[in-house]
Amino acid sequence: MDRKVLNVILILVGVFALFLLVVWVGGSVLNIPRLQTGERPVLRFVVVGIGLLGAFAVYWFTKANKAWEVGTREVVYMAIGAALYAVFSYLFNGTVFVVPSVSQVALRPAICIPMFFGYTFGPVVGFFTGAVGNMVGDALTGFGLYPQWSLGNGLIGLVAGMVMLFGDKKRSMNTVLIISAVLAAIATLIYLFNRTIPNMQFFAPDQGIFGDQQISLVVGLSAVIGFALVLIVRFAFAKNVDWGAAVTWGGLGNLIGLGFAAISDIWINGYPPAVAIVGEFLPSAGPNLVFAAILVPILVAAYAALRRQTGR
Amino acid sequence: MLVTWRYRKRRSLIQSFDPRAWIIFYLCFMGAVISVWDLRALLVLLAMALGVVLTSGIRWREMRRAWLFIGGFVFYFSLFTFLTGRGGVEFYREEHLIRNLVAPFAVFGWQPVIHVTAERAFYALSMLARVFSLASMTILIPYSFNPALYGITFRRLGLPDKIAYAMDLTMRFVPTYARDFQVTMDAQRARGYEIEKLTGGLVSQVRKLAPLIVPVTIQAIAGSEDIIDAMDLRAFGVRPRTWLEELHYRPRDRALIAFGVVAFVCTLALSFVGLFQFWIPASLQSLPLL
Repeated sequence: MDRKVLNVILILVGVFALFLLVVWVGGSVLNIPRLQTGERPVLRFVVVGIGLLGAFAVYWFTKANKAWEVGTREVVYMAIGAALYAVFSYLFNGTVFVVPSVSQVALRPAICIPMFFGYTFGPVVGFFTGAVGNMVGDALTGFGLYPQWSLGNGLIGLVAGMVMLFGDKKRSMNTVLIISAVLAAIATLIYLFNRTIPNMQFFAPDQGIFGDQQISLVVGLSAVIGFALVLIVRFAFAKNVDWGAAVTWGGLGNLIGLGFAAISDIWINGYPPAVAIVGEFLPSAGPNLVFAAILVPILVAAYAALRRQTGR
Repeated sequence: MLVTWRYRKRRSLIQSFDPRAWIIFYLCFMGAVISVWDLRALLVLLAMALGVVLTSGIRWREMRRAWLFIGGFVFYFSLFTFLTGRGGVEFYREEHLIRNLVAPFAVFGWQPVIHVTAERAFYALSMLARVFSLASMTILIPYSFNPALYGITFRRLGLPDKIAYAMDLTMRFVPTYARDFQVTMDAQRARGYEIEKLTGGLVSQVRKLAPLIVPVTIQAIAGSEDIIDAMDLRAFGVRPRTWLEELHYRPRDRALIAFGVVAFVCTLALSFVGLFQFWIPASLQSLPLL
């Protein structure tokens, strides 16, 4: 067998073993309730196994695809993306200058960077941009490291770049829109049943708000608002496939990446599921959809102009 | 310039170690802090972190902004936890009352009461010690990590050549783009753009950020062509690369790594068997229950 394939299989088996170990040590030996599997442990591991098989299938069927190649160009774009993401997140997080926020939505426009870099330069560049950019940005502020959020930010860029695995961008958009719609709808439904949970992502030090104010209606419905904006970009500018594709794929990446980070906080920080979804996921992912729908097409258009000018 | 690496060669404890050893120690330290809730153990860790800060040779003036931001944030957060008791519920079931602070006024017949309990006070203190330990160690990194060693450090920590080099480039680009951002913002301000006074609804506010974000991003991509050419001309990525700087572990680096790993593993193991959990002094446990 090819050494590369063997490595991938070993990594996936390692991940499975890690899950087993966490449940065995944390759940059975130490009796930590949030790490216990409940009634049907086998079924839960079957689900983990299916997820890993899915990851392997994506690797197996796309391993010859150019999207995964890393050359000089990609290395430089990775570094540019990560540095830009770090600088923008540092500048817009409230330490340097404070931009006004509209009903609990803090303006964090930096999120368009991993989406744009993933969509334009491929999944590997997107992943590096999100993950390393988030890490460096957090370190600049002095907050320490949050591996699950860095990984989630990486996933945003990775998923945005998966568009390269599809031959027909236009057809891929419809599937992506359906998946995004389902994810946004589930999160919003959970919000409608738990409307009193605090917005843990909103900080306004001058007003004495540190992630403890009850989530506002706008933020609660932001996933729906953001998805509507994505739809508008997709269909109002139907002639420009690149704009629509960048926004829909970036939007899906945002939902999956931040969903991963917020849901992993159920086990890492011990949040109840509803708090993770309503208090963490919605306030971060919903507004991001709005920023993405507006800023990503502008970046894509500007980059297309640059390419025309320089003949690349 | 907003962000620059304020690295200087300083005679200090932190800079006397190999950067790889320090990164491994930093990760172990973070792991240890995260697995501990006992205030006594946290104070030991905090003392260690403060020891490193005080011997780092970095002046207060240089890192004032970072400290003030983190400090304000953490103090308020702990105070809030202390007043409401939110956040600590996972760690204690019953609370021992030290005193009830009753407000001398009433709002619509409701008299605000603050229950000062031993659990809330100690939870807030533990939180303060935890976050300050993490922040102290993190703030130091940009000041003490030699930019010339970024690439080789990540390579020797086991990352592939290309990824290590990308990390190196990332760290080099950050100050450059921060400066580009400042220049762009000044240029836009000269044209009448005011970021402090964004008006309109959410959508129009976001749209008005484009004149800052798009020029910096596109300029960075356009400028990358020279770097790509320079790297290609030197046959980047054709063979395993060699690095200009070399790193060698000395006995003190090995000792630091060993100390970090052993301390982390012991803390983790002891926290698994039930030590280092949330702690309040026994004398306070005889107080009446809330």
